[in-house]
Amino acid sequence: MSSAVLSKVDAPAGASRSEGAAAIVQVRGLSKIFHLDERDVVALEGVDVTIREREFVSFVGRSGCGKSTLLNIIAGLLDASTGTVEIAGQPVIEPSKHVGFMFQAPVLLPWRTVESNVLLPAEVMGLDVAAVREKARSVLATVGLGDFLTAYPKQLSGGMQQRVALARVLTYEPKLLLMDEPFGALDEFTREAMNLELLRLAETAGITVIFVTHNISEAVFMSDRVVVMTPRPGKVAGIVDIPLPRPREIAVMQQPAFTGLSFDIRNILGREQ
Amino acid sequence: MSVASSADTAAAVRPAARVKKAEPPYRLYTLLIFALVIGVWELAPRLGLVNEIIVPRFSKVAVAFYGLVTQPFFPVHLFTTLGEIVAGFAIGVTIGLTLGILLAVFPVAKRVTYPFVVGFQATPKVVFAPLFVAWLGFGMSSKVVMAVVISFFPVLINTLVGLESVPENAKMLMRSIRATRFQTFIKVSLPHALPIIFAGIKAALTFSVIGAIVGEFVGASKGLGYLLDLYNYQLRIDRVFAVIVVLASIGAGGYFLVEYLDRKLIFWREDQAR
Repeated sequence: MSSAVLSKVDAPAGASRSEGAAAIVQVRGLSKIFHLDERDVVALEGVDVTIREREFVSFVGRSGCGKSTLLNIIAGLLDASTGTVEIAGQPVIEPSKHVGFMFQAPVLLPWRTVESNVLLPAEVMGLDVAAVREKARSVLATVGLGDFLTAYPKQLSGGMQQRVALARVLTYEPKLLLMDEPFGALDEFTREAMNLELLRLAETAGITVIFVTHNISEAVFMSDRVVVMTPRPGKVAGIVDIPLPRPREIAVMQQPAFTGLSFDIRNILGREQ
Repeated sequence: MSVASSADTAAAVRPAARVKKAEPPYRLYTLLIFALVIGVWELAPRLGLVNEIIVPRFSKVAVAFYGLVTQPFFPVHLFTTLGEIVAGFAIGVTIGLTLGILLAVFPVAKRVTYPFVVGFQATPKVVFAPLFVAWLGFGMSSKVVMAVVISFFPVLINTLVGLESVPENAKMLMRSIRATRFQTFIKVSLPHALPIIFAGIKAALTFSVIGAIVGEFVGASKGLGYLLDLYNYQLRIDRVFAVIVVLASIGAGGYFLVEYLDRKLIFWREDQAR
């Protein structure tokens, strides 16, 4: 690694909202090998990452760099081959109710209304649905869907469907939110609006966010730190601190610092290729 | 703090009252074809183009139909066959659903039994009709069993396919919210499979009519299939056609009933192909 990158790795985060906070996620020596028919594919090799409470961390990299695999392992949806993941000091062995997961697709059930989709986790987890309903309605109002409680998914645009998915995780007040390219399928303008909304909501609720994307500017715009990953085998190539002030506005993208940080990330990605 | 950007809110409000292009009168075309068929049917025997003994003119069939359904013996035959169809259909659908669910839920069971399933499907079920009559006699039970055997299969296959086609991300979602396998099955897999299962149920309905009739052809003393066979033997072809009309009505009536249930139950279906 070049000194330019090294100097940023694990440097104290200047403007980070998580400065001095305790670690919430600790990934140590993590490897994942997929056994396919004829050969073994090393999806992740020796990944070490620590994420602090209330931090917004993005994982960027090309397709196949293992960023989604890493997210799934942190979520407890996938087993690691070697190494450990701890959330709040507890080893992850299965999905936790304190962790919310958002996919690239909204994954709504088409036979359920917007409200009923948001209440699905409550039913599944055996919570008091009537009590959660109040919370669900207020979260839906927050994401701008207050008038669409009884609509069905197919009546909504892609952006609105993803808002429902967002409401479905936020209703349950997760400590940690894992997002796998959550707005990747949306158009540029909608994605920007959703990103701003997400930043505000995460900040207000004090949620730690791990955000997987292949869009460098999106990662810089959103994050306190960007973990850059490279493929074959998937590993961490560098971690870039993003000391841009918060709350972030779209205008921040015009700052030279923003361009410089994006370039640093591009360099790490390119150098490993 | 709501940031419901107008960009995507607007898209949700679909233009309900879009200016409709004048649709061609398809219904009229259908009626015209129907009238044409009836006209040819009436005229061809009259003009001597076909032998009236083999194809009686339409008006004679209409008279025979009225004559048949007003016969005092008709209800016995009608309800015998209806009973066989309904019982065969209900049992067939139940068996198909149960086996389909079992094979989908227990992959081992599927792997072990799949050769039998394929082998059974490859056999034309009609060949069992004489056996069932030999085993179960000339009564209704042999026809019900025939209807079951012929109708359960599409339900089984469609249930299996429907349950196996649940999108991976929906299963992931359920796992991420700590759902049990049973919860995932009830809340996601089964509703997801329902449209496909219903397509199988529609096929089962048609097949159960075939099953009952074939059973009656092989050996019966009651039922519409028995009547049809009898009138054919007596060369009362007008009555044969009359029985065919009754059977077609039963099939169509059942189909539209299932179709109606389908529309009510599976309101979220996106594709229009049914």
